[in-house]
Amino acid sequence: MAAAALSGLLPRSRCNVRLVESDEIGIVGVGEATLPHMKNFNDIVGIDEAEMIRRTKATFKLGIEFRDWGFQGSSYIHPFGIHGASETTLGFHQKWLRALHAGHAFNLEDFSFAIAASRQNRFDFPAGKSGSISSTYSYAYHFDASLYAAFLREFVEARGVERIEGKVRDVAKSDNGDIQSLTLESGEVIAGDFFIDCSGFRSLLLGDALEVDWEDWSQWLPCDRAWAVPCASAGELTPYTRSTAREAGWQWRIPLQHRTGNGHVFSTAFTSEEKARETLLANLDGEALGEPRLLRFQAGRRRTSWHRNCLALGLASGFLEPLESTSIYLVQIALMHLLPLFPGREVEPALIGEYNRKMDVEYERIRDFLILHYHLTSRDDSEMWRYCRAMDVPDSLKQKIGLFRQRGYIERYRDGLFTPPSWLSVYVGQGLTPERHHPTMDNIAVDRMVDELALLRDDIRDRVEELPKHEAVVARYATEAAGSDAFSFSFN
Amino acid sequence: MADAVRTIVIVGRDAPAWIAALSLHKALGQTGVKVSVVELPSLLNGVEAYAALPSLQALHELLEVDEAAVLTAARGVPMVAQRFSNWNGDGAYLQGYDSAEAPGGFLSFVQLWIKARAQGLKVPFEEFSFGAMAARSGRVPSESDDPKALGATYGYHLDASAYSLLLRAFAVRRGIEVRSGLVRRVEVQAERIDAVELVSGERIAADLFIDASGSEAALLSTLPADQFESWQAHLPCDRLLSASVGQMTPRPAFSQISAIDGGWIGMFPLQERTAVTMAFQSSSMTPEQAVAQLQSLAGVAIGSDAIITTINPGVRKTPWIGNCIAIGEAAAALEPLDGLSLHLAHVCVSHMITFFPVDRDSAIEAAEYNTAVRLHAANLRDFQQTHYVLNGRAGEPFWDKARAAPMSDGLAQKLRMFQARGESVLYEEETFEAQSWAQMFLGHGCSPRSYDPRVDLIDQQDHMQSIQSRLREIGQTIPALPTIDAFLAATQIPIKASAAAS
Repeated sequence: MAAAALSGLLPRSRCNVRLVESDEIGIVGVGEATLPHMKNFNDIVGIDEAEMIRRTKATFKLGIEFRDWGFQGSSYIHPFGIHGASETTLGFHQKWLRALHAGHAFNLEDFSFAIAASRQNRFDFPAGKSGSISSTYSYAYHFDASLYAAFLREFVEARGVERIEGKVRDVAKSDNGDIQSLTLESGEVIAGDFFIDCSGFRSLLLGDALEVDWEDWSQWLPCDRAWAVPCASAGELTPYTRSTAREAGWQWRIPLQHRTGNGHVFSTAFTSEEKARETLLANLDGEALGEPRLLRFQAGRRRTSWHRNCLALGLASGFLEPLESTSIYLVQIALMHLLPLFPGREVEPALIGEYNRKMDVEYERIRDFLILHYHLTSRDDSEMWRYCRAMDVPDSLKQKIGLFRQRGYIERYRDGLFTPPSWLSVYVGQGLTPERHHPTMDNIAVDRMVDELALLRDDIRDRVEELPKHEAVVARYATEAAGSDAFSFSFN
Repeated sequence: MADAVRTIVIVGRDAPAWIAALSLHKALGQTGVKVSVVELPSLLNGVEAYAALPSLQALHELLEVDEAAVLTAARGVPMVAQRFSNWNGDGAYLQGYDSAEAPGGFLSFVQLWIKARAQGLKVPFEEFSFGAMAARSGRVPSESDDPKALGATYGYHLDASAYSLLLRAFAVRRGIEVRSGLVRRVEVQAERIDAVELVSGERIAADLFIDASGSEAALLSTLPADQFESWQAHLPCDRLLSASVGQMTPRPAFSQISAIDGGWIGMFPLQERTAVTMAFQSSSMTPEQAVAQLQSLAGVAIGSDAIITTINPGVRKTPWIGNCIAIGEAAAALEPLDGLSLHLAHVCVSHMITFFPVDRDSAIEAAEYNTAVRLHAANLRDFQQTHYVLNGRAGEPFWDKARAAPMSDGLAQKLRMFQARGESVLYEEETFEAQSWAQMFLGHGCSPRSYDPRVDLIDQQDHMQSIQSRLREIGQTIPALPTIDAFLAATQIPIKASAAAS
């Protein structure tokens, strides 16, 4: 992704991009779930959506279903869209709350077009014209991460990025402490003005060579392992990722065209590797396609992701579990923050400071949002859930939860991921209903509002009935995969 | 809901008190909440003007206060820009209120301009601002529904006393109970106010008290937890000399803010007169010297109605304590620069309504209000301080000191980033968007060392084209705009008709 962005979005006169990559190093991940920003990235670097969908065996995604998180037996969807017909300052949910407190209990999910479509396994592209209910959402993809990496590699090589096969053996620093060059195992020396570290958890340049500290967040996000395995597809193709809470972690389910990606993220403080593996294998839709692979990690980040003439991307800069599909987003937003600040030969400290400030905001927003899922629960059936319920969370999050509990207030911030509709769906989905609504809502006559809510709910339901099934839409893109025995496509 | 707030008493004066009263009445009046006002004696002397940002238009709309009524009653004039002169040499720059930045494709226009300038472009940045150029030619711009079309908006210069009286009249007409008086005693119990006792002996109890008394913070300062944080190190002036002089011809469409040795002079045009304010430091100038300096620099005689008042920039540590919420200058005070006269009151009132307590225990809302108001005020302070730290008046002790004054980390980073790359860093709770910051930085002579490398992706010819077409478009549009006088003639309520109607 870095090579695609730098080669495609910076002028050639500014930089000559070389990519050092090894075929011997495997790619983590069996299926990748993304956020709607992905489409934007593809569009600006010039990746053709239809081709990417076909090549990476992608499907569409309208949100994430969370099962058993707030309490066992619960299910809610965090949609890529708003609740209600349009965004308002106080939020649509204040109307919903006002009705609720007046004795009219509507289901909040019924007011989200994206959720209603997800629940029926339907998908269509959002209407371009704003103002209509079918324009109130966006979409992302599920794809095969290895196929995406291969696809991007081809894409950047076609653009003239030089790819050097090999593993880094040594990193040489200059007198001032900057990175000067890399020595590969072949003995080849690669010099550069600026280095981008995409070496994954190992963080070869930023962590090893420049010794930037690691900030540990595992007191809030205790999961430290994942078993991952693909399985055969079964049932209707869902247009959403599923995350099911388990005794000592959670399990992902990512539907692709040809199979389903699965993984069990867990904490070794609360279960064993062996038991976690069994849990995963016992909870697959279809036959496991291969042996589960074990991944080790720790929640946290490098204290700064740009230091001297080196910038780390992705896992080399930090790790947050893929509960909200933020891994690729973090790579993408890091690149988007880098482009306007891309340095000349001299790296100015102001640019580094600004980049790191922006990334601090990104990481902390996501961190708080992830912690919310673990902390805001009434589960007390296992040690991990009891720990998470009782743990001391960051003050920023405490205040947010308190304001929602008291009055349904949700902060709208300038920078960083997750807008009020995301917070709303997780708060309510995890089982927190505000005690009061905003005082100005009492200006509205309840009867009229209740009628309007009912009309809106019915309108969404009726319109969603008209959407095609997700698998029919995917089939239109996947003609080359149509022979796959994992699927039978229905054209309607 | 036994503990919901049912009664609100606003203790305050002048426009901020009425803005609070009208806003609360509008937001909550239908729900049975009773809003009343204890009106303290005005601190205005009849000479002052409010210079208000375009956001006041939106507030008027919300409060159903008609623009024509405001301009007529408050002898108002549209404020299309701020003009800063003599801050950096003999030059001046104009800061307008464009609806959107000039088009730059996927980049911000300032980046295109920086490269063009490096290649020899001589046209200053302000000439790409529709609002600034409209102001320069004495005309009033308008916004457009088409986001691609030129659009700019305007604020107001208003006679402060007349405007306050107008809002007061609206409040009375809407049934808000008003008592005039002085507070003799505030009954405080465990960081809450039970009641205020007036000099008349009347005791007024309420669930919630709003302190709109100005910088004395008549209510908040009686609570033991109250603390004031001074910003004098950032904003050096502590005195204002306010006076009134004759009408300028032609009537300017901007506030004229001129730096002088030891402070600055602001000229705010009204319909029949010009309000003049001189900000200075009491330690370096006596009141007599200030008057003499103003007379000689403004070239006009200052009448006997001139008055010197104290300003004390700074912020309350906790503008909301218990059941007492401070707004406007009772919460945070700035210099009367950048059209911010009424802005803090507006910001506070809008945050107060967002976090209006759902019951008497409002600790969590208070914490959020305090964070937001303090941050917002601090960002505005940084905006004002930028004029000072970027001044070019070398050799004058007042200005040399201002240039070296301590800055917040946030402002230091803003400046470094702009100097490095022409990028305006924005934080949460900002009034001014990137374009306003860029206009100010460039206006004071900041010169970015590099630009966004992606500018080089734009074809050289396309680049020059977007620069020239913007200039052409502005040049062609401005002559069709109404002049200030034409705008006033078309907008005001004819005096006779208004008198007949009332």
